[in-house]
Amino acid sequence: MTEAHKVDATLRALLADVLGLGDERAAALTEDSGLFGELPEFDSMAVATVLTEMEDRLGILIDDDDVDGEIFETYGNLLRFAERKVQG
Amino acid sequence: MDEHRLRIAPDGTPRATILFAAPLFEEANRSRRTIVRAMRALAAQGFAAVLPDLPGQNESPVALADVDLNRWQSAFAEVASEIEGPIIIAALRGGALIDHQAAAAAWWRLAPVGGGSLLRTLLRARVSADREAGVTSSLDSLQEQAKSEPLLLAGNRLSPAMVVSLATSEPQAVTPLRTVALGSGDEAIAGTPLWLRAEPGEDAAMADAIAADIAAWSRTCGIS
Repeated sequence: MTEAHKVDATLRALLADVLGLGDERAAALTEDSGLFGELPEFDSMAVATVLTEMEDRLGILIDDDDVDGEIFETYGNLLRFAERKVQG
Repeated sequence: MDEHRLRIAPDGTPRATILFAAPLFEEANRSRRTIVRAMRALAAQGFAAVLPDLPGQNESPVALADVDLNRWQSAFAEVASEIEGPIIIAALRGGALIDHQAAAAAWWRLAPVGGGSLLRTLLRARVSADREAGVTSSLDSLQEQAKSEPLLLAGNRLSPAMVVSLATSEPQAVTPLRTVALGSGDEAIAGTPLWLRAEPGEDAAMADAIAADIAAWSRTCGIS
């Protein structure tokens, strides 16, 4: 599994865990799938949980000054944010 | 002050008492149904199972803003001191931050977590909610504010002492200890991290797996 695939798989599993999406819905997420504002499960508490779980599971540190609303707009945005952080 | 405690036990003398240290804050509510299912499964196997409220939790007459982790550690130890017979402590998530002062025959921990991680999630929920309300806050500004006054984080009013103690708290060494994660393998049980979810429901299979793993650990330790 390449690094990019690993980040993608980790992120899908994390969203399935936090949002209770189930494996099928998590696997069906595309670049354009809306998150915050689209998925009713994705509230401000879920945003907070996703950020902390990303730190723990991807072994990264997230400076909250880097976090703006845009990264939660779509799955693609969140994935690219995670990949940037993993690459350092 | 007397706190409420839930006790589920078989008739007669139990094999041992399983004393639960629940996850902290919102995670406690999300996990409670599944913990109580595990307690019933343990009682069916001859164990007593106890889930205490600590000061500031659930039905407690004490305000959450008046407690910190030290108070929870000593309150949990006091609950243990009042139980007759052998005790196995079962701590989930942040429960592992308050389980080490109690006297027990053995410890069992599921997905233990550091206080810093719990605190960051609570602070982030506040920042995120503030942003929706058009207020600018940050983890740093909130932690600065928390030095001088209680801080309302995701519905929890936390004292300066609680914020400080959470920031630096890690699960402490205890022995004998079995630590399990969620997943597969010898050091894990199958299940879902309900404590992360807004709408957790319950996980009956995980509750049975928790009970079975604790019962096996009790036998391994020669307790019953």
